[in-house]
Amino acid sequence: MSHDPWVWIGAFLTIGILSFLYKENPFYRFCEHLFVGVANGYAIAVTWHLILTPRLIMPLQGGNYLVLIPMIIGLFYFCRFIPKLSWLVRIPIAVALGFSSGVSIPAIIQADVIKQIQGTVVYPHLFANWQQGLWAILIFIGVLATIFFFFFSREHKGILKPVSYVGIIFIMVGFGASFGYTVMARLSLLIGRLQFLFGTWLGLIK
Amino acid sequence: MKFWEYLLKIDRRIVFLLVGLSVLIPLIFPFRIKTNVMPYTQKLFDVIEEIDPEAQGILISADYDPQTMPELHPMFIALLRHAFARKIPVLVMTSYIQGPGLAKQGLDQVTKEFNSQAMTNADSLIYGRDYVFLGFPPLWLAAVLRMGSDISQAFPADYYKNRTASLEMMKKIKNYNDIGIIVSIAGSAIPQSWVVYANTRFGVKVGSGATAVTAPDFYPFLQTGQMSGMIAGLKGASEYEYLVHTKYNLTGPTPATKGMSSQSIAHLTILILVVIGNIGYFATRRTRES
Repeated sequence: MSHDPWVWIGAFLTIGILSFLYKENPFYRFCEHLFVGVANGYAIAVTWHLILTPRLIMPLQGGNYLVLIPMIIGLFYFCRFIPKLSWLVRIPIAVALGFSSGVSIPAIIQADVIKQIQGTVVYPHLFANWQQGLWAILIFIGVLATIFFFFFSREHKGILKPVSYVGIIFIMVGFGASFGYTVMARLSLLIGRLQFLFGTWLGLIK
Repeated sequence: MKFWEYLLKIDRRIVFLLVGLSVLIPLIFPFRIKTNVMPYTQKLFDVIEEIDPEAQGILISADYDPQTMPELHPMFIALLRHAFARKIPVLVMTSYIQGPGLAKQGLDQVTKEFNSQAMTNADSLIYGRDYVFLGFPPLWLAAVLRMGSDISQAFPADYYKNRTASLEMMKKIKNYNDIGIIVSIAGSAIPQSWVVYANTRFGVKVGSGATAVTAPDFYPFLQTGQMSGMIAGLKGASEYEYLVHTKYNLTGPTPATKGMSSQSIAHLTILILVVIGNIGYFATRRTRES
């Protein structure tokens, strides 16, 4: 059994959160509120030590007064609390949006659209290996059928009906795979907590 | 019929108890399971194997927080062990504000493991010479783009507030040209963003360590080659532990591998519960309809 007080605190908080599985109770709510408070406090401390100190305070101490410009723009966020000056909050939002949109739009079109379309195209060289060729055809059919399923401008009649039905099959297979992976993920988290409780804390797991 | 009706109305707490026991019992009494390495885990391992330690380093981005730690932390540890075993210079950063503490904990653990077995100064892992912890950048996107031209400008100071440019390793590793692969370990869509901004724009290889929940989202990027490999979930972490420990004969703890017997039994339990639930549903459907 561990002699580290922090391990004991961690164990009791873990049990408190897991107690929700039985039913909601004050011990669970205490742990939940404590988690939110600690997470926010930690975030503030990290922001101070890893962002404000090295990127604002240290440069200012070194005589780099250019950092005052982003600092002032950032401070405009707090104008939201002053009704007469609340319009100033639009400036930092505009800077952030303008930068992010300018950088993201071409990059996302290239990576998420063009490259993905290229990946769906069936090239002759893919058939050098029959398995690879089969998967390429399957992906091609899957993408087309799924897109057809989400084509709502026309009623799914005639040729659209069987194609969209194939699309549903692909979507369902996708949901099934995602659900399977989700079960695996949640169990992994439980394994991690039980390893902590029965290993690190109680010492029952070697 | 009543039996099936009883099964359908079973208290959820009994299901929780069954799943809990199916996880706990194999943890206390583990049994060995053969590790089958998935192709994308092997691919990531092979890409890191191909890195020339004299020419390039590896950037591991610990983009996770305590919520996904059981799945992702073993991947981080296994990747660090792999890189250090090959003497590849390691850069670590994080895009989650709760990540620096976890990344530091992992770095401390693995460097301690290696340094406890080091015989000479050359064998030891020394901060600034063999690895650098860059910390958390305030605006992730700006940092990622800036790293394409100069990592030291994107991170003027490291986690310990040293001037990044003054560190010995950073004289050799200037930008993405000097990075063999970026591996983003995340429980979110961050690896996809690494593909969009680092791979597409700068051509640097990107791999991912993903939680099982997010792993399906990355298969399209693996299929197109935009992502160079993936460790998926605790199972993927156990595969990577197996690959690294087998090749380099390492002896550190392997929590992911130890969790596999629990995972298998718990999956079996859930499969049985799903089958029973479905049989019960169809067996009682006619009664309910009438």
